[in-house]
Amino acid sequence: MSISYWRLKDRYYRLIGVSCEDCKSEFFPPVHVCRRCGSRKLVDRDMPRTGKIVTYTELRETLAGFEDQEPMLLCIVQLENGVKVLGQIVDTTVENLSIGDKVKAVFRKIQEHGSSGQIFYGYKFVKA
Amino acid sequence: MKTHYDVGIAGYGVYLPLYRLPTTEIARVWKGGGAGPNKEKAVASIDEDSSTMAVEAARRAMDMAEVSRLGAIFVGTESKPYAVKPTSTIVAQALGQHFVLASDMEFACKAATEAIQVIRGLVGSGMIQNGLAIGVDTAQGRPGDDLEFTTGSGAAAYVLSRSSPETLATVEAGVSYVTDTGDFWRRQNEKYPRHLSRFTGEPAYFHHVETSVKQLFEAYGLKASDFTYAVFHQPNPRFPVEVAHRLGFKAEQIKTGLLNPMIGNTYSASSPMGLAAVLDEAKPGDRVMIASFGSGAGSDAFALRVTDAIEKKRKKAVKVADLISKNTKIDYATYAKFRGKFTK
Ligand SMILES: [Zn+2]
Repeated sequence: MSISYWRLKDRYYRLIGVSCEDCKSEFFPPVHVCRRCGSRKLVDRDMPRTGKIVTYTELRETLAGFEDQEPMLLCIVQLENGVKVLGQIVDTTVENLSIGDKVKAVFRKIQEHGSSGQIFYGYKFVKA
Repeated sequence: MKTHYDVGIAGYGVYLPLYRLPTTEIARVWKGGGAGPNKEKAVASIDEDSSTMAVEAARRAMDMAEVSRLGAIFVGTESKPYAVKPTSTIVAQALGQHFVLASDMEFACKAATEAIQVIRGLVGSGMIQNGLAIGVDTAQGRPGDDLEFTTGSGAAAYVLSRSSPETLATVEAGVSYVTDTGDFWRRQNEKYPRHLSRFTGEPAYFHHVETSVKQLFEAYGLKASDFTYAVFHQPNPRFPVEVAHRLGFKAEQIKTGLLNPMIGNTYSASSPMGLAAVLDEAKPGDRVMIASFGSGAGSDAFALRVTDAIEKKRKKAVKVADLISKNTKIDYATYAKFRGKFTK
């Protein structure tokens, strides 16, 4: 997470994806060419902030820089427009998760570079 | 302090983290048993800070306000994630608001009411249409210090706009009072604040809150019985009850806005969150008084009148009572992990 993160802030902060002006398909993360119809007429679109869990897993060992958040819960969420998003789910435990649970996107710290480096924020999910 | 145009609240939003630390846990670890003055305190999770809680409260306030453009965003906090780098720009980015005056306000627990005063001025002068004032803190208390019982985490946000049929309460009047008082402070580069415990009551909290409220009464011809509700800053459960009594308010006027026993002192968010709890149940025509306190020291006091729009607007409210009751208890070790009390 560095320069590219700062360029992609709206994606992480606001769940901004794209919508195809020709076939109305929506994508997150954003694409440059519509995966359904091939159109290049794509406009920014706020993704819905609610959805349901398609699948989830618990990571007891994570990547370097995320150790403090172990055990970490990851899930794939199908948003209300059908778009599937991978994200962390927080404020719960694996025992309390089920496929189909309703969730909503929240704004959280993703990672920080120690106590002197930068803080990286973005979306995660909590049970709705 | 009056404004050229009338200013009202177009939307409000509160955020409370999920976790609660019972004060019996703090007493168990540090005092050999017992409990603190409040039953529990709200604790931000490991991935939460003042920026994340400010964004969550702000999103709720914006949902209720239904305004598309903000002219100003002020975040009042004493727990900035960065000493240099504004929290308000993080909120602005998360809300997609870029042509705004954005700044962080600092004045211990009254930084948010300070933000409300300034936004009132900007809206009331006609310089901006809508402004967002946020109070947020992940209140820091040194482990083992008496402050640790009460220091809670939370956020409250208000969208202020020119008074219209869409504003749910009108700010009728507001006053501010300050003196140089050394009751509580944190020096640059220090992790935890310090306080002169015997100095925090009479010369600090009581003197400033009583003076600002009396000034509000005197300047605008008001008295305690004019208000249906009163909300005071809540450093502990006792001070707001005592100051209300001294100023002639009755227990039922302050009951709704008194949240400290359940969540602790959310610092900058404390009195603004109490006001939100009142707005969750107030009726059109009700008058509400709110008085903050910030160490250092000062108090802002406001008189508000609830409008007919409240009934429609609060259908969108995430109620403070629901946020308080939905919680997960944690022990001291989990709290220490979440709030970085371990030094690695
Ligand atoms: Zn297409």
